[in-house]
Formats: sequence, structure tokens, C-alpha cells
Amino acid sequence: MITWIYRGVVLLVLVLVALDLFGERDRRKQLVAAIVLVPLVLRLLMLK
Amino acid sequence: MTSATNATRLWAAGLTLASLVVAGTAASAFGRMHRTEPNIPGSGLTRQSTLAAYEPSLARTSADTEVFFMDGGRPGGVVLVLGGTHPNEPAGFLTAVLLVERARVASGRLIVVPRANGSGFTHNDPQEGAPQTFEITTPGGPRSFRFGSRNTNPLDQWPDPDVYVHASSGQRLSGAEVRNLNRAFPGRADGTFTERIALAIATLVRQEQVDLVIDLHEASPEYPVINAIVAHERAMPLAAAVLLEMQMAGIQISLEASPATLRGLSTREMGDHTPALAVLMETPNPAQGRIRGRTSAALVVGGRDAVYERAARARRLFVPFDATGWPIEARVARHLTGVVLFARLLGDARPGRGVAIEGVPEAGTLRRDGLGAHLHPPR
Repeated sequence: MITWIYRGVVLLVLVLVALDLFGERDRRKQLVAAIVLVPLVLRLLMLK
Repeated sequence: MTSATNATRLWAAGLTLASLVVAGTAASAFGRMHRTEPNIPGSGLTRQSTLAAYEPSLARTSADTEVFFMDGGRPGGVVLVLGGTHPNEPAGFLTAVLLVERARVASGRLIVVPRANGSGFTHNDPQEGAPQTFEITTPGGPRSFRFGSRNTNPLDQWPDPDVYVHASSGQRLSGAEVRNLNRAFPGRADGTFTERIALAIATLVRQEQVDLVIDLHEASPEYPVINAIVAHERAMPLAAAVLLEMQMAGIQISLEASPATLRGLSTREMGDHTPALAVLMETPNPAQGRIRGRTSAALVVGGRDAVYERAARARRLFVPFDATGWPIEARVARHLTGVVLFARLLGDARPGRGVAIEGVPEAGTLRRDGLGAHLHPPR
């Protein structure tokens, strides 16, 4: 159960970061958001 | 947040795509760590099972690892060899692999579990820079083996508590030890993933009427319990006899008692909770030490490290360490010699229960030829 709650939180953060990536105009901040996406995707899929 | 233009959205889409490519590449690399290298049993194998046969909840998990049986033609005792209790201690794992590939049993039964903690082989310890794999060169080409973590993969068991309380004793340890198989014995059915692995091994010991458990480990050169046998008090006379034989064969080794107050170890709990005698062996592994240089596959296999040489000159280590280092052949040779002697001398501790292991190289031969010369070629 706790794992599904954890994955839900990860999904929420991932969606918020993706929205920020698409809404942001500063390209450096967009790049930072894109980098943050990588571990979140791996966590969501429980690969790492 | 301000409204973005089409150009920035296009840039964002490109970055997202790049992130997914990086994540996919990383996912592939992590996925490879879950693939177990093939076992290539030798002619001595008589039966094969898995840990899930002893604890069904492990079925279809990373801990459902192979159990190999080698039976002799004559009656005798039963010896269980555990490799890979700590998957970052490769000499123990490779000694078990060598037994599976080369050992023939003349009397009694030998049971070998090369990857006691299969989950620990599916990841590496974070921030250690450890290699995912290392290679042993055989006459038929290089064979790749996983270098894993001391602990169960957090994907299989999480979160870690702040304090790990060992169930049957109430002993309190640091939280990360909750995933350490060698702090989880004797295990319990309603416990953590790691405790269920421990339970599977303890159940195997009882069901198969094991006389002697030999748990193969390694330790960093600055750790005091090294080049040592650790024995439960019931196994002390047998361990002392093995120590004498090894010393006479020119292998310097010490004997330590498994502390009554340090719980969860295979030696302590198998000795207390099963009829088996229980011992543990340690060899030096610079790849897991705190003062090592670059952590590479070459260090894992070759065991040479300039920083440890300096530490030895400054008398800061518990083992000699020169330019030769501690290559994997020397470490496996120590373990293998110990296993063969323990199995044979078991017949003195328990008359009629000795196990005669044949077909494995002697220590000098193994050191001279290299480990790969005695392993099967890759499939």
C-alpha cells in the first residue's frame, strides 16, 4: 500500500515538473526541469 | 510562471524527449542488473531447486535463487555452502560457483547456494562507485559476473526504519541493517523480505537435515575479523581442527567466536535455532574497504591498491598487503580449502557424517592457474 502512495506522490511531482517545463520561458530553468524528470521517471517505473 | 511562446514550448518538447531517452537508457542499464548470469553446473550436480521451495512467498521475486545439490555414492553428512550472502563480497560467491561447476561428492551431500541474497545482486550500493559487473577470463573467453550490494535492493524492501530491531532477540541496530541478510537470521514468515530470505535458508537447513552451514564472506583489509573463521560455540572444536590443517598447509588464518550478543548472523542463529553446526569465513577484499582508491572491476578481480599498500607499510591493516595485493584467486583458494577441510573433518565432529568433496583445485594450483582456468567457458 505504502508503495502505491509513494508512486502516486512521485507521479504528482512528475506532472508538476512537466507543467513547469512547458510553462517556463527561461531555457536554463527548462533544462533543470528536464534533468529532474529523469530520476522521477525511473522512480515511477520502480526501475531505480 | 509566464505564458510561454511556441518556441519555448517546442524547446520544452525537445527537452522532454531528451529526458525520456536518457531515462530509457538508464532503465536499460538498471534492467540488465536484474538478469542473472547463467549457471553452468558440472557433472557432480544431482538435483537443482530454488529457495522458494522452502519459503513459497519468495516465488517470482529477485530472491528466488538456485539451490544446487551434489550427492555422493556413499552415505555421509550434509554440508550447506552459502555464497553471496553479501553480493559485494565476490570471493564467497565465486567459491560457490566453482563448487557447483567442479565439485564431485564421493560421500554425503553438498548443497550450494551461490546467491544467498539474490536481491542484493540486482543493485549497487549508492555513492560507492562500484562496478556493475566484473569479468573472469576463462580459456573459452571472458565470463561476466554481477558485483552487487551488501544489502537487499530497496525496490524489494523499503522504507528503512531509523532503528532495526532484530525480531527474535530485540537487538537494536542502525536502520539500514534491516536489509542485511546476515543480520536477519533466523528469519520469520511474517517479517520483511530479507527476513523471509533468511527463513527460507533456515528452513532448508532443517528440512535437508544439514549438519554444517558454511557462510562465505569477505571483509575490508582494515577490519579486524579478516582471514578468519568465525564459529558458533558448538562448531568450535571442528573449526579449531580446520584452522590447524590450514595453518599446516601454509594458510595463515585465525579463529573467532561468534559473539553471543551480536544477533542475526548465520553463525549465531543457525547454531542456536537449528541442529546444524555453523561457521563463517572471511577473506580480504580491498574493493569494499574505506580507504581504497578507484573502485573498478580490476580492483575487484586483481585486488591491488596503492593506498592499501601505503596503509600496510604504516601498519594500519590486519592483513599483509604488498604489490601483489589480494587477487581473487588467492581469496577463492582460501575459501575453497576451508570448505573442503570443513566437509571432510565434519566426520570427526559427527562420526559417519563427513562429506568428501573431490574435483576442485588445490589452493596452490588455483593461485598458479588463475580462477578462470577452473571455471567453465561462457555459454
